Amino acid sequence: MEFLGQDRREGLGRKANSRFVLFLLIAVSVLLLLSSLYSAQASVFKKAREGVIDAASPVLELFSGPIAYFNDVTGTVSDYFNVLEQNKALRQENAELRQWMEEALELRETVAAYQGLQSYAAPPQAQPIDAYVIGEANDAFARSMIVNAGRTRNVESGQAVVDEKGLVGRIVDTGAHASRVLLLTDIQSRVPVYVEGADVEGILVGKTTDDPSISFTASSAPIEVIPGQRVLTSGAGGVMPRGLPVGVVEGMAGDDILINLYTNYVRTRLVRIINYEFPAVGAGGAEEAPTPVESGGPAPAEG
Amino acid sequence: MGYRAENLLRLFKAAAPALLGIFGVIILALPIRLFEGAIPTPIIPLVIVFFWSIYGPNYMPALSVFLIGLLQDFLTGGPLGLWAGVYLVAQFVVMSQRSYFMGREQKVVWLGFALVAAGASVILWLVMSLMSGVLLPAGALLFQMLATVMIYPLFGVAFGELHRRVLVEA
Repeated sequence: MEFLGQDRREGLGRKANSRFVLFLLIAVSVLLLLSSLYSAQASVFKKAREGVIDAASPVLELFSGPIAYFNDVTGTVSDYFNVLEQNKALRQENAELRQWMEEALELRETVAAYQGLQSYAAPPQAQPIDAYVIGEANDAFARSMIVNAGRTRNVESGQAVVDEKGLVGRIVDTGAHASRVLLLTDIQSRVPVYVEGADVEGILVGKTTDDPSISFTASSAPIEVIPGQRVLTSGAGGVMPRGLPVGVVEGMAGDDILINLYTNYVRTRLVRIINYEFPAVGAGGAEEAPTPVESGGPAPAEG
Repeated sequence: MGYRAENLLRLFKAAAPALLGIFGVIILALPIRLFEGAIPTPIIPLVIVFFWSIYGPNYMPALSVFLIGLLQDFLTGGPLGLWAGVYLVAQFVVMSQRSYFMGREQKVVWLGFALVAAGASVILWLVMSLMSGVLLPAGALLFQMLATVMIYPLFGVAFGELHRRVLVEA
């Protein structure tokens, strides 16, 4: 180490690191910060963000493959140590799920019978777009992920993103081949939700901690929720479809309802972007009704 | 070695710290999730900016620092100018104390890095809290900075070897 700091001949770039440039660039940074405070949605910035995501996506994709493989391998090694407990838990869960399956099969028949009725108009089917997580903002305050699907696959800003467990977030920037997903835990995240069985509609607000909370509710009356109740997207605002699973109520923190998310961001790898178009009100919802019933979902039963 | 190849090599050596910084930003943007996410990804660009601001400021001009920070802002999706500003302020502080750090023991430099990381955390927390209008929880940030400070000795030695044997020598 004694060689370090003796400033021997330093090759290229011998001219001094100018103080003036340093101060100028600090000023530019502050200006950028202030301008992004007042015009975060300015088209110039948005275009630049989307351009950078696009340009970086091949590099991210190149590295994220081996990383996923490595994580899988290390995951398998640690799985060996608790294979017995996992087996036991899985058997129990399997037994419970079998009961649910029976119930679901019964319900499916009932629903099919109802769908056969003339007056039933099925909601439009969502068009799912599958994508891999190739990037993640490892930042304490900015919580987002980058997925490898963009405009060329009909991804648009605002669309909901889910994984196998539940809602992950929504699309905020879309490049041609990659997009950014704002996670539910980000400080800017606002998602309309409702609590099942409690008659509470509200907005799920991210707080940069692991558990977001429902901060604004539709009713001014005191809210009564029970821990364990399910939280689903409400579809208010007309962007996300209604009924995507978000999490369960964990408890109250002051006036806020804390939510334990279903999704585990540490394991989110394969996601599904939900390209959902709300049925246009009054614009021939009733006339078009038979088509989706035939094209998607279980065929009408004989009943 | 021909004249042109030599020039290319010199150019590469001059740009190596900046390229390393960009690589550090890319590492920050990857879903690495060390130990199933238990340990946050260290902020390696901060180490790079700190190290070369002391030992080779000519290799880390303010413009490189700015571009590294700006790329990080773009890739994390945070407000533009935040990380660029933090890195530039870190460079300013380090360069104003450069004569103190020169030739010191690595332990002392490590302590200096910890102080710079703490200062950077304060700026980040203040700016983000101001911008979002609430006092944000600082736990995650402090944990990430702690991880960065803990890996500093490792990277300090590696960068020292690189700087001494490859960039400056020959």
